[in-house]
Amino acid sequence: MNSGELYACLLVREFPAQALLRLRPELREKPCVILDGEPPAETVCSLNTRARLLGVQRGMTKVEVDTFGSITILPRSRSVEAAAKTALLECAGAHSPRVELQEEENVFLCCLDITGTEALFGPPEVLAKTLRQRVALLGLSAQVAVSGNFHASILLAKGLPARTAIVVVPSGAESMALAPLSLSVLAISEAHAETLSRWGIRTLGMLAALPRTDLIARLGQDGKRLQQMATGTMPHLFQPIDVPFVLEETAELDYPLDNLESLLFGVAVMLEQLIVRAAMRVYALAAVTVELHLDGGGTHCRTVSPRVPTNDRHLWLKLLHLDLEAHPAGAPISKVCLHAEPGVTSKVQLGLFSPQLPESGRLDVTLARIAALVGDDNVGRAVLDDTHTSPGFHMEPFAVPSGSSTTKVSRTAYGCLRRVCPPERLSITLDCGRPSGFFFRGHRYTVRHAYGPWLAGGEWWNERIWGQEQWDLIAQGDDETTLYGCVHQDFVQKSWLLVGLYD
Amino acid sequence: MPLASTIRLQVESALARKIPSALTPAPRLIRPQIPTGLAELDELSGGGLPLGALTELVGAECTGRTSVALSFLAQVTEANKVCAWVDSANAFDPASAAAIGVDLDRLLWIRCADVAEASTKTTKAVTLPQKYFIPGSPKKGLHGGGFGPHPRTEIRGLSEAMAGLFTGETPLPKPVEPSATKRNRLASGESIPSIPFTRRKRRARHYDAIERALRTTDLLLQTGGFSAIVLDLAGIAPQYVARIELSTWHRYRVAAEKTQACILLLTQYPCAKSGSELQLRLLEAEPILEAHTVFSGMRPRIEIVRQRFLQAASNVVSMRKPPQAARTASWQSRTPWAGAQ
Repeated sequence: MNSGELYACLLVREFPAQALLRLRPELREKPCVILDGEPPAETVCSLNTRARLLGVQRGMTKVEVDTFGSITILPRSRSVEAAAKTALLECAGAHSPRVELQEEENVFLCCLDITGTEALFGPPEVLAKTLRQRVALLGLSAQVAVSGNFHASILLAKGLPARTAIVVVPSGAESMALAPLSLSVLAISEAHAETLSRWGIRTLGMLAALPRTDLIARLGQDGKRLQQMATGTMPHLFQPIDVPFVLEETAELDYPLDNLESLLFGVAVMLEQLIVRAAMRVYALAAVTVELHLDGGGTHCRTVSPRVPTNDRHLWLKLLHLDLEAHPAGAPISKVCLHAEPGVTSKVQLGLFSPQLPESGRLDVTLARIAALVGDDNVGRAVLDDTHTSPGFHMEPFAVPSGSSTTKVSRTAYGCLRRVCPPERLSITLDCGRPSGFFFRGHRYTVRHAYGPWLAGGEWWNERIWGQEQWDLIAQGDDETTLYGCVHQDFVQKSWLLVGLYD
Repeated sequence: MPLASTIRLQVESALARKIPSALTPAPRLIRPQIPTGLAELDELSGGGLPLGALTELVGAECTGRTSVALSFLAQVTEANKVCAWVDSANAFDPASAAAIGVDLDRLLWIRCADVAEASTKTTKAVTLPQKYFIPGSPKKGLHGGGFGPHPRTEIRGLSEAMAGLFTGETPLPKPVEPSATKRNRLASGESIPSIPFTRRKRRARHYDAIERALRTTDLLLQTGGFSAIVLDLAGIAPQYVARIELSTWHRYRVAAEKTQACILLLTQYPCAKSGSELQLRLLEAEPILEAHTVFSGMRPRIEIVRQRFLQAASNVVSMRKPPQAARTASWQSRTPWAGAQ
């Protein structure tokens, strides 16, 4: 064994129950059991401490659990467990790039290679404490065992009593630390367990004390392996996994929901988890996608992305609320998936002489409120298109630009057009092909000066063909008002339209 | 005999709970001003439009209100500030704004009229009914238009205010009896095809666009950070704009003062009353007839109708009537393609 090696084992007991109760803090103080299997032959696969104190045991059927009364029964959810597992691995990955996952039923077990991390995280005790605290932020209760041997750390974690959270074994003292542990922490076949119990071997210390040659002669190579594990000298080839960084949370609802307020209550907890996980890596949430699985089988997906990545939970909730209110799902919701994209935390350089600008968080909420009022496409900034067609611009989401303005202010041209939206059809009188009079909004106008025609057209190669001639008119009305209008003659629709007024 | 100042102090302290500083006049406010970029107008108004206050630009169509507003916004965006244009009739033209020099990236544009139908070329449905844009004509009654028994019972301007309220066509009452064709069909035993139920979209109410615009302005003012907010009600006929409650303008005035935003209101009718700090009226513009082939622009004329807290040049009260400042100004509003003079 290399004396420089150091491993930390992270163990989460009753993982199916903890994963489900993680997003439902209101149930943590109540006895809960998780049922697994095909109904009606469902059995208890996991339970919390309060349920255990009542006398519930693993393997009980639903009928047996019902006899206790006042126990919350939840079905096992693999998707929720997978999300919790991802969160745990990501948390472990924040402490070491080398993480090995051990697949075991009903517990989450992973081992971190923390060799040489003292300079970053301090001594192993501090690292174990930090790791446990971070896991606690995810809403889970974990135990950490640190040892110089991979298997020894796993056995120590498994053998820890429920009230002890952290154990750190100094290098070379593994066999002494393992000695009082029960044989049940070792994965022993039934035949070997029976043999050892007949010999009166109950702890790892007793197993380690047996003469090696005689043990191998009786149990074969398994005997050697078991004794090496019991002494904490079993070598291991570390197989690190690629630690994922996926900000995703899933929650399955007990019954279909159609009330947005109730849904957001659950979404708030999930959002908080995502923010905690992003903040661990000094990230902020840039976009959140809500995937609502509907009762009828459909999916409703909405993405919200503020202008600046933020970790403000209230802001996110408000934005999600406004978005879901503006785009309702239309059917009861049975499952919620939240997926977030990380972004760099925003940095704002404040200055004494910088102009007063809207605060990005408040601006996002305001824009969402305005969008709910007037529609998504009617809020934003106009971007001019390189075209001669009407209207010649498109809308883009508004964001406060950071640099200085490069637009040059005109010193001569102030005349501008006010669009008439939609363009109004005119009945126009022509004189030698030039407009001489028209009716507009109940008044008759006589054209004093007509400038034009200016021809424009395009896309004659497809169905969106357009062609028009433009006239700028100065007209005198019968009520003695002067009108400065921009009139188009549409060649396709064969009509005269007033598209704008010079104002 | 106590001094006058002592009595004033006693009265004020007695009334302090009900009327704070009852006998002390409010201090005069001298607001900073932002230039509009139009030298003639800046000179007339003493520096530009006041910051942290409501300014009203009143005028009929084609008098140059929009060009004043855009010129002002160009100055604001040039200073790297952010502005908003609340458009009640979707009349804003980005190309014109860019030509004047408005940085479109710093301009939040909110279209309050429903453009979903208007954007499609095939649809002919007008979202805002046409009568919305036509000022109602006053009634030609015997005494002042109200048809009262005597002129003294008439209220001035009542007929103008009421005009437009009755312009909508009253639907004729439907006959209760089944129509002849239906009756004949029923008699002959012919089956009537059932009409499929279709949900009709609610017809846009006249006041919807105005209400949206007002609520949007409220939200923008609450957010803060916008140096200029243009509330464009210029295309809406006076009888609809006049219905806006006066408390709205008062609210805007207070909010603008707090956030140091400059609210510019474009209307055809002076509706903000005492809520506006500066009221400018645009008179009918004259055309510029320079070129024969292209439209060169117009010459808008503007006058100051109302200006609060105008700073006097001197504190000395003259015995004679002092020389009066000019109240009107005019400039050339040339189209971008016409070039400089």
